[in-house]
Amino acid sequence: MRGHVLRRLPSALLILFVASLVIFAVLRLVPGDPATSLAGPDAGPETVAAIRERLGLDDSLPSQYLHWIGGLLTGDLGPSYAIGGQSADLISDGLGATVELTAAALLFVIALGTAFGVLGATARRGWVRAAVRALTTGALAVPPFVTGVLLVLLFAVLLKVLPPGGHVSLLTAPDLAVQYLLLPALCLALPSAAVLGRYLKDGIERALAEDYVRTATAAGVHPRRLLWRHALPNALPPAVTLLGMQTGHLLGGAVLVEAIFAWPGLGQLAEQALTRRDYPVVQDLLLLLVTVFVVVQLITDLVYAWLDPRIRWE
Amino acid sequence: MTATAPLPATGKRPRTAPRHPYRAALASARGRTGLVLVALVVLAGLLAPLLAGHSPTDQSSQSLAPLGTPGHPLGTDDLGRDLLARLLYGTRADLGIIVLSVPLGALLGCLFALLAAVHPVLDTAVQRLFDLVLAFPGLILALAVTAILGPGRLPVVLVIALAEIPAFGRLLRGGILVEREREYATAARVGGSSRIRVLTRHILPNAADPLVVQIAVSLTVAVFVEGAMSFLGVGVRPPQPTLGSVLSQSVPYLSDAPHFAAGPLITVTALVLGLSLIAEALNREIRR
Repeated sequence: MRGHVLRRLPSALLILFVASLVIFAVLRLVPGDPATSLAGPDAGPETVAAIRERLGLDDSLPSQYLHWIGGLLTGDLGPSYAIGGQSADLISDGLGATVELTAAALLFVIALGTAFGVLGATARRGWVRAAVRALTTGALAVPPFVTGVLLVLLFAVLLKVLPPGGHVSLLTAPDLAVQYLLLPALCLALPSAAVLGRYLKDGIERALAEDYVRTATAAGVHPRRLLWRHALPNALPPAVTLLGMQTGHLLGGAVLVEAIFAWPGLGQLAEQALTRRDYPVVQDLLLLLVTVFVVVQLITDLVYAWLDPRIRWE
Repeated sequence: MTATAPLPATGKRPRTAPRHPYRAALASARGRTGLVLVALVVLAGLLAPLLAGHSPTDQSSQSLAPLGTPGHPLGTDDLGRDLLARLLYGTRADLGIIVLSVPLGALLGCLFALLAAVHPVLDTAVQRLFDLVLAFPGLILALAVTAILGPGRLPVVLVIALAEIPAFGRLLRGGILVEREREYATAARVGGSSRIRVLTRHILPNAADPLVVQIAVSLTVAVFVEGAMSFLGVGVRPPQPTLGSVLSQSVPYLSDAPHFAAGPLITVTALVLGLSLIAEALNREIRR
C-alpha cells in the first residue's frame, strides 16, 4: 500500500509543479501591469510603486515564484488586493461552501447512480428500464445550465417549494440550508449520476451473466442477495474510478452551478477575483483547484486497488 | 416464402451492397431525428438576418413584453430587445463558435497524436502534456485563458479547442497503436513505404472512425462550454447575444417572464440532443 502511494506520488507532484509554473506564467502574461490595474485609473505613480512593492513585482521572477510557493506552504497567502481581506480567509470561506455543494452532489450521484444502475439492469417492467434510459440520456446530453434553469422553473417558479438560489449556512439554520442546497446539488449531480448509472448497469448485467451467478441461483441464493452481495460488488471497481473522475468534474462543474444558483463558493470567488483583476487570489485559487483534482485522482487509484484485490500494489 | 410471396426474378432485388456505415447511421431512426433537430437549428442560425425583424441589439421601450406582442413574436427581454432576433443571432453566434473551435481542437489533437507516433520519447512528452491539460477542470481552464486574453469570442474558441485537444489526441493515439500492428501496416512497410507515408496514408484513415464520433460529441461539449462561459461572465462580450448569454440574462426574470428563457432552452436542448443522437447513431454503426 505504502509502496503504491510512493510510486504514484512523483507523477502527481510533477503535474502539480508544472501546473504551478503554468499558473504563475499565465498571470505574468496578462497584458498590462497588474499593479496599475489594481491601483485604478486615478492613482499616482507612488501608489502604483507601493503596490508593486507589496506584490513583490520588482523582484526577479524566480524569487517571486519561490515567495508565492513559500507562502502557500506556510499558509500565509498574503492580502487580497481588490476584494479586500486576507486571501486565505476568502478562499477558506469559498472552499467551505463549494465543499458543502460538492459533497451534497456526491451523495446524490451515489444514490441516483446506484438507483439508475440497479433499476436499469434488473427492473422487470420494460417501461421502467426505458424511463431510466431516457432519463440518463437526457441528463447526459443536456448541459447543466439548461437543467439548472429547468429545475428553478419547476421547483421554484411553478411549484414554489424550493428557493431559486442563494445560500444559508448549515451551521446557523440546517433545515433552511438544506432547502437552499437541494436544487444546486441536484443540478450538479445529474450528469455524473447518469454516467455512473450507465457504468453500473453494464457492470451488473455483465456480472449477472457470469457462471458463478448461475451456480448460486441453482444453489438457491435469493436473487436480491445475489444482486447486492455478488453482482453489485463486482461492478464496483470501474464505477469507483469513474466516481473519482466525476468528483473532479463535480468540482469543475460547481463553478458553473454556483453562478446559476448564486452560491457563494470558490467559483463565485474566482469569477469575482478575475473580473476585479485580483491576481494573487486567482493564482492561489487555480493552484488549489488543480491540487484537489490531482489528489482526488490519487485517492481514486488507491480505492480502486483496495476494491479489486487482483490489482497488486507492488 | 415460396407460396405467398414469389421471389422476384434474380437480379431484380439484389442483396443491397453494404452501405457506408456513416450513411447507414444517418439513415437510422436515431440519426434521422438527430439530423432533423440539428438542421432546424442550423437553418435558424443561417437564416437569422432574413427571419429576424429587428437587430438583436436594438432596444425598445417595451421591456419584458410577453409572447405574441405585435412586432415581437417571442416578446422582448429586460432591455426591450427583440427576443426572436436575439435567439436567432445567438444561435448563429454559437454555431460560428463551435464550427471554428471543434475542428481546430481536432486538428491540433491529431497533430499531437501523429507526433507522438513518431518516437517513444515524443509520445511520453505528448502524453504528459495531455495529462496537464486534463488536470485543469474545463471551466478552470476557461477562467485561466480569459484571465490572459480578456472576455470575448476568441478566448471562447481557444478554450474549447484547448479542452478538446486531449480528447482527440488520446483517441487517435490509441487507434494508431492498434492499427500499426495490423498486417496491412506491416505489408505497407515491407512494400517500402516510408514511415510517415504508412502513418498518414494507411493507418490514419483506418483509425479515423472514432474521431468522427468524437467530433459530434465535441460539438455538444462546445455548446456546453460556450453557455457555461456566458454564465460565468467570461464569454462573448455583451450586447452580442449567444444562446448561453440570452439564457443567463433570463435567470433573474424566471418567475416574472418565463418565456424569456424558453427560446434558448428549447434551442440548446434541440441542438445538443440532435448532436448526441447523431453521435450515438454513428457509434453504433461503426462498432458493428
